[in-house]
Amino acid sequence: MNKPRDAGLSDTHFIRIDPERCEFLVPRWAFTDQAVLDKERAEIFSRCWLYVGHASEIPKPGDFVVRKVGGRQLFLWRGEDDQPRVYFNTCTHRGAIVCRERQGNAKRLTCPYHGWTYDTRGGMVEQPGASGFPDDFFANGAKDLKSPAKVDSYRDFVFVNFDPEAVDLKTYLAGAAEYLDVVADQGEHGMEVTPGEQAYSMRANWKLLYENSADGYHAITAHASYFDYLRATVGVFREDFNPHEVGGGGKSLGNGHAVIEYQAPWGRPVAQWVPQWGESGKEEVGRVKAELASRLGEQRADRIANWNRNILIFPNLIINDIMGLTIRTFQPINPGYLEVTAWSLAPRGEHQEMRAWRQYNFNEFLGPAGFATPDDVEMLELCQQAYQNMPEVGWNDISKGMNRPDNNQGDDEVQMRSFWIRWDELMGAARHEKV
Amino acid sequence: MSMLTRAEVEDFLYHEAALLDEWKTMEWAELFTEDGEYLVPPMELPNADKNEALFIINDDHHRLVQRAKRLTRRTAHVEFPHSKVRHAIHNVRILEQDESSLSVATNQVVYRAKRQNLDTFVCHVVYRLARTTDGLRIRSKRVMLDIDGLRPHGMISAIL
Ligand code: FES
Ligand SMILES: [Fe+2]
Repeated sequence: MNKPRDAGLSDTHFIRIDPERCEFLVPRWAFTDQAVLDKERAEIFSRCWLYVGHASEIPKPGDFVVRKVGGRQLFLWRGEDDQPRVYFNTCTHRGAIVCRERQGNAKRLTCPYHGWTYDTRGGMVEQPGASGFPDDFFANGAKDLKSPAKVDSYRDFVFVNFDPEAVDLKTYLAGAAEYLDVVADQGEHGMEVTPGEQAYSMRANWKLLYENSADGYHAITAHASYFDYLRATVGVFREDFNPHEVGGGGKSLGNGHAVIEYQAPWGRPVAQWVPQWGESGKEEVGRVKAELASRLGEQRADRIANWNRNILIFPNLIINDIMGLTIRTFQPINPGYLEVTAWSLAPRGEHQEMRAWRQYNFNEFLGPAGFATPDDVEMLELCQQAYQNMPEVGWNDISKGMNRPDNNQGDDEVQMRSFWIRWDELMGAARHEKV
Repeated sequence: MSMLTRAEVEDFLYHEAALLDEWKTMEWAELFTEDGEYLVPPMELPNADKNEALFIINDDHHRLVQRAKRLTRRTAHVEFPHSKVRHAIHNVRILEQDESSLSVATNQVVYRAKRQNLDTFVCHVVYRLARTTDGLRIRSKRVMLDIDGLRPHGMISAIL
């Protein structure tokens, strides 16, 4: 393996921290090594709460969506009792995929292989040739669909945990829960995922995307062409806007979660108007803002409407509350390849003009053909390819801002350090093994 | 005006493809009418409404010009240096036409090669074309992808 010769020899951590020099280093083989990914599957993806979907995606009893989560094949199915449940998408007989459509509605699902049939509570209700089994063979749920050890939701965001010993979801979310509130509170009548998912990928390690998703430092260089687009589009609608001075900053939210909050010149359907939206757009944005203020108070309305935030929920959920509201989750497939899925989240009952601008806006920066995401993909792939320069060049540097611990700015790297510290803790069990 | 033949329409589409294959993106943008649009709907919802669903590309005229312009810049990092792109157009069918406009369905395959990867985009492309005194112009180009996720492509950085 292409590893620096001293890999794993630092006292207690994979990472190297030199507080004196304000230096924070991460070994590059953490991005390339199959053994690291195997460990991550065991220590992180099998123990952390992982995002599966949003309750609004399955509004009616019988509705389902299929998802790949943490290396498993799952589906989310709303029971006839209206309860959302998550199942492993595998027949208890010989294992075939039971739910074969990406989404749909069914009161029962029949395995295509031998016909075992399940109801929305996962119960095994019918099987051809039942006389070949003892009467009580299927009793007590013996052959029911299996569910992850824990399933829970917070403000309609549904998560699973494969570890029966895991802490509860709210505890796990720590400071990130309040940010989910900020997002969920935007809709007077709740929030909904809009139709259309963006399924794409990156030829890069999954941790690179977590880092990138709240990396304010790269915006000016990597996204220079996006800022050109923005200037040509919204012009100088905020003359005070200086991309080097966006206020706010980054902070750790506990358990590896993090956020950066900042101000930005683009339009926000909640509720920052840009000239492109015309007079009727201005009126509608004003109405949205007024509604927020009357429901949540002036101060909270200002925070929700005027500030952008990239919210990182360890290990693989990103909510970008920027020119649109995105839910983005990603799964490692192998050390150098990840799959991303993203959705647009919107207030239920949003005015159709704002909904149209929201969807239009989403594409301006984000998504696999936006004016910025493809450049992010490129950057991540450039990193991943260049990690072949090991063992000679073996460490990544994410030190920016360590010299100002109380005042982390939006382009500092505190959010990455909080990720890596948590990553290191969880992977710690492996630290003395030959990884 | 007389009705256009398929060969005449094909000539126009081949011209569009040649501009894209040669990265003459600004000239490509000029093929659109002032109210022209370039759309890539979600793969699982090819007939979706752009005002409701989350599209992959939802460009009005302003934005398609900006997209074309971006791709001429070195700072469009993903396409600097430019990847190799090749459009192949098949099964051209004129669905309907009158004096002023046509609607045309095509099958297209777009290949993009960069850094030893080859990505293939299989597309059903429907055009709404306007007949103008300057010749044909595109009022709408809707690219419906016949793939199940942009995997492993990762993204659409070139114009389809
Ligand atoms: S594998 Fe499902 S019924 Fe046999
Ligand atoms: Fe970025």
